[in-house]
Formats: sequence, C-alpha cells, structure tokens
Amino acid sequence: MKLSSNKHYQAWFKNPWTYVTGAILLSIFQIATIAVADGAWGVTGPFAVWGAWVYQAFGGNVDNWYFFSTEGGRAALNRTFLTDPASVRNLGVVVGALLATLLASQFKFKKIKNLRQVAAAVIGGLLMGYGSRIAFGCNIGALYSGISNLSVSGWVFALFMFAGAFVGSRLLVRYFMQ
Amino acid sequence: MAEEAVVKNLEEAKPKPSSRRSSRRTTARKPKKDQTLQGLVLLALVIAFGIYLATISAIIGFFWLTGIAFGFILRRTNFCFTASMRDPIMSGSTSLTRAVLIALAITSIGFIAVQYGASLKGLPIPGMGFVVPISFATVAGAFLFGIGMVLAGGCASGTLMRIGEGFGMQMLSIVFFIIGSFWAARDMGWWTLNFISNGPRIHLPEVFGWTGAIAVQLVFIAVLYILADKWENRNQEN
Amino acid sequence: MAEYELDCLGEACPIPLVKTENRMKELAVGDTLIVIIDHSCALKNVPEWARKNNHTVEVEETGDSEWEIFIDKSA
Repeated sequence: MKLSSNKHYQAWFKNPWTYVTGAILLSIFQIATIAVADGAWGVTGPFAVWGAWVYQAFGGNVDNWYFFSTEGGRAALNRTFLTDPASVRNLGVVVGALLATLLASQFKFKKIKNLRQVAAAVIGGLLMGYGSRIAFGCNIGALYSGISNLSVSGWVFALFMFAGAFVGSRLLVRYFMQ
Repeated sequence: MAEEAVVKNLEEAKPKPSSRRSSRRTTARKPKKDQTLQGLVLLALVIAFGIYLATISAIIGFFWLTGIAFGFILRRTNFCFTASMRDPIMSGSTSLTRAVLIALAITSIGFIAVQYGASLKGLPIPGMGFVVPISFATVAGAFLFGIGMVLAGGCASGTLMRIGEGFGMQMLSIVFFIIGSFWAARDMGWWTLNFISNGPRIHLPEVFGWTGAIAVQLVFIAVLYILADKWENRNQEN
Repeated sequence: MAEYELDCLGEACPIPLVKTENRMKELAVGDTLIVIIDHSCALKNVPEWARKNNHTVEVEETGDSEWEIFIDKSA
C-alpha cells in the first residue's frame, strides 16, 4: 500500500520513537489520569478480581477473604469487565500495542519455543502476581505511580525490585539459557 | 590492459547495492505482508468501542483512551521497565533506566501540581491511594516481582504490550500472573495482620512540605540519573 | 571476513543480546555476525550494544516482525 511507504507515515508509525519521547508521552497521560480520574495508572489492581470472577464462575466463594471484604474489594467483585475501569484500561493497553504493531506491519504470532520458556513464563508470572499483590502494585502502580505520587513506598519498591532483577538475571543466565 | 581498465571502471561506476548482502536465508524468505489496512480497521474499531464505552460512563471511556494511549506509546518506543533494571546488570546499558527516571521526574512534577492544587482548594488529594504502607510486604513483594519480571521476559506493562504484539510466552505468563495475584489476595489477611498494618505511609509533602518534597524528589532523581549515566560510560571505557 | 549466523528466532529478551555478546567474543575483527531476531526489544538493544562497542551495524527487516542484524566486528 502506498500509505505505508510514505516517508511521514514511516516516521510516525514504523520507525521507533526514542525512549525519551516515551517518557514524555507516558507522563502526559499519567498526569491526565490523575487530573481526570483522581488516581494514577496501575496494571495489576484488577488481576485478583479477574481471578475471583473465574473462581466464582466455577462455584468458588471468596466472601470470607479479607481482601474482598473491604469496601473497594466488594465493589470490584460486583462489577463486570466492561464496567471496571482498570480492567478496561488493561485491555486498552493490549489493544493499543496491537494497533501500533499492525500499523508498523510488525505483527507475527510468536509461539513458545521450548519447555524452558514455559517454565520461565509460569514461574515468572506467579512471582509477579504474588509480589505485586502484597506490595500493592507492580512496576507501574507501585513504582511509577507510587514514586510520582511522592510516596516513599515507591522508592522502597524500586530498590527491592532492582534487587530482584539482579537475582532474576543470574537465574536467567544459569537456568533459562542454553 | 585497456580492456581491464574498462571493466574496472564499469565496476566502479555500477551503483553499489543499498542494503547489505543478506544471508542464505534470503531465498527462503517469507514475503512481507503489509498490515496497515488491518491497523486502520482496528483503529476504527477502537474509536467505535470508545464511543460505546463512553455511553456506559465517561470515566470508562477515558480509561479506554488512556489504556490505548499507554499501549501505543509503550510499543512505539519499546519502553520496557524490566530492561531498565535488567540491562544495567546484563549489558551495562542504562538508556532505559535514564528514560524511566525522566518519566518519574516529569510525572512527579505534574502529580505534585495536581495534588497541591487540590490541597489549596481544600479538596481530597488525588492519588493518595498510591501512598501505601511500607512494610516487609513491600520489600518481599518488590523482590519477588523483580525476579519474576526478568524470568518472564516482561513486567506488568511489558506483558500487556507483548500480548498485543503476539508473543505466546506473555499470553502464558499473564495467566499465571493472575493466578499468583489471586493466591496472594487469599493471603492478604495474613500479610495485613503481620506486616502491612504496622507499616507507615510516608507522603513526602507531609515531611518536607510541598516545595521541599518536589525538590528532594527531583534532586534524588537527578543523582540517580548521573549515576546511571556514569555507569553507561564506565563500561564503554573498558 | 567470515560470516556467521546467530538464530535467535523465538527467544525472549534479553537472550538475543546475551547470545550476541557471547558470540561476538569468538569472532575475529572483520568477521560479520548476522543475528536473526523476531523480538522488537532485541531490535533496539542489540544494535545499541553493538554501536556502543564500536562495531558497524546494519539492520534489515526480512518479514513481519523479523529482522537480520548485521554486525561487523570492528574492534
């Protein structure tokens, strides 16, 4: 198509932007979020709620759980995916990335290559899920938004996330590479 | 001799190939598909869906918009928080680290302005939900998260971004991400009782005042930036 | 002036970069390493590493989400 060979199209939608551009643009939307929605960007907030929805769909019950007994927890449980703002935002992130990928003609489904990748995804996912829940957030909610909201918790999170990344790097090279 | 000279001149006169000679794989290469049309169709759907959501509630429409924006920006810039922490260790590169610091600085300035504005008007300060207690749960949680994100090849935002790019590995890891989060939710009573409820919430403006808080934060970020810069160049000198 | 291929298709980041670094150590100056990737993060961090170490780098897009990175070992 002629559009995708256009020089300007390439600059905007194909060639990568700089990291600093990313920093500035992300900041703009973060600031918009706090100005409009009284909160900041977070990713992992709804994950436990999604888990609860599935659990309940299979007949499970989380009514006795401390986590879901708070006002916020109960309210979240009673929502649906499309009426839960944070869930919609997460879906938006996936779709936004997909959109950017398609416009750059870079979409390809990349299959999992080997069992090592499966193990890494499973273990890594569990660790991230558990860790982000008890720390009230992830690299976005606890680190990015926490620090930007001038909470010292964000810096503490950053420090120990870095320590974890150090250990993770060693493990990765030792056990998850050929 | 004249013939050779002619041949040589002809060779030099030939336009040199603009791209490199490729590997043997070139012959078996798949044709590049243009996906712009699919992208534009998706864009139309994104807009239509956004309008639909806005009819449910304006806030839901707004969250959709910011989600799309974040995902789009992350992907266009290949912004990866995991790499910002892992690369200094594994390859000595701090370009992402420094970009994250810049994002923190700019966002902090914007956030404190909004918070300050609210406090001046006597309104509840937005974002305080992110000022959470600091306890062993923070330490352990962050540490586990750090390990996990490097193993899984992506942090929370990175995982979402890579799902949108088509990576099967991240589609798998998010399933376990959700399971892990749900499992921890089950344990939250224990964590709250033993650690979180004893942890202090520290909001910098409460300690240093509004101007002091942003000054301290920016100075701290600047120091980290300088260190990151030195780290990048230190490895270069080797 | 030898050419070597490093197939990193399907590898999660940062594995392409780590493998590239290790493989480059084994090459002689003047050799070329062709790193084959399909991960957009490697598309950024492998050339960045190579340039930082003063190697000549060229990238060619060879498919949807597939690239070949040509690194001439220069030092």
